[in-house]
Amino acid sequence: MKKQHTLALTLIAAGSGIAASALNMMHILPDWACAGVLVTAFPLFVLGLGLYWMAREGEADIPFLGY
Amino acid sequence: MIAELLFATFFGLLLLGIHRKVIARIQRRPGPPVWQEILHMLKFSFKTTWVPNTASAALFVGVVLVAIGIWTAALFVVTSGGSLLVIFAIYMLHKIVEHGFGLSSGSPYGKFGGVRSVISAASEIPLIVSVAAIAIFTKSLLISDIVAYQTLHGPLLLTIPPAAVAMYVVLISKMPFGPFSIVESKELVSGYKTEHFGVWRAGLEICNGLKTYVLLLTFILVFAGGLPFWLILLAMLLITLSLSFVCALSPMLSPYDSVTIQTIIAGLMVAYVAILGVVS
Repeated sequence: MKKQHTLALTLIAAGSGIAASALNMMHILPDWACAGVLVTAFPLFVLGLGLYWMAREGEADIPFLGY
Repeated sequence: MIAELLFATFFGLLLLGIHRKVIARIQRRPGPPVWQEILHMLKFSFKTTWVPNTASAALFVGVVLVAIGIWTAALFVVTSGGSLLVIFAIYMLHKIVEHGFGLSSGSPYGKFGGVRSVISAASEIPLIVSVAAIAIFTKSLLISDIVAYQTLHGPLLLTIPPAAVAMYVVLISKMPFGPFSIVESKELVSGYKTEHFGVWRAGLEICNGLKTYVLLLTFILVFAGGLPFWLILLAMLLITLSLSFVCALSPMLSPYDSVTIQTIIAGLMVAYVAILGVVS
């Protein structure tokens, strides 16, 4: 996965989560809508951030098949 | 809400770290520091990550997103006083997630872990039976209504202790290193999560932290009622300590014995709720 894509994913997820929380605190966005945005954005943020740090762009590995 | 989410994740991971430490001390080992699970999550975030050649890439990645997403949703349902049935549904979804983790990688160890997750579905029956027992008394499955009921009538822990025991068994079945932890036993390497390394495992750790926090919070709200926040955290710690003692002092059961015991508990609970329904 390209680092630029993961960075974009992370920023979009973080931005939408923070924006939803801010709108919720200003009573513009209802609680359920804010929760819905966070349920979607939080997993994307976690994986996007981790992948931005450490994702390889080369060949995949074979899985662990035993000793 | 973001602060709530981050707090739940880190506190849940801290409880899992305490769980490991207590088990180690009971078994006369030094054990890891209590913040080990938090370090684990951070450590895996910095590990090299890719998708194995034999994996179904969409399922392999998607299942991690779903795992974090469903427990994030569960946290908001519990804290907003939503329905217990939604928590039950999310608990069932987690079973499917474990299965997806196991089957997506192409590793035989992961597959066995996923299969064991399905055969241990008997652990869900005590949960729905305790939900039924609660409904008989409170006439509602909304957590906010259940808390309000207990404010008037006292904790359900004293009214229907067998239902609390059944849900406690559900908590045991979800704690690592417990007698029912057959999905990740050592003969399967790490069970369903064997092939999810690096960032994927970091995501799984976050899911585990959230899951622990949500299940303990649900147990406290449903059986002890609305307590001050600091008392809820203290109760979570005490329940974790008790679970650690159970896990440290009981051997991991074979898959057959695990399912048998969970089925017996479920049968006893069904009988209890049937009697409760007739009496009330």
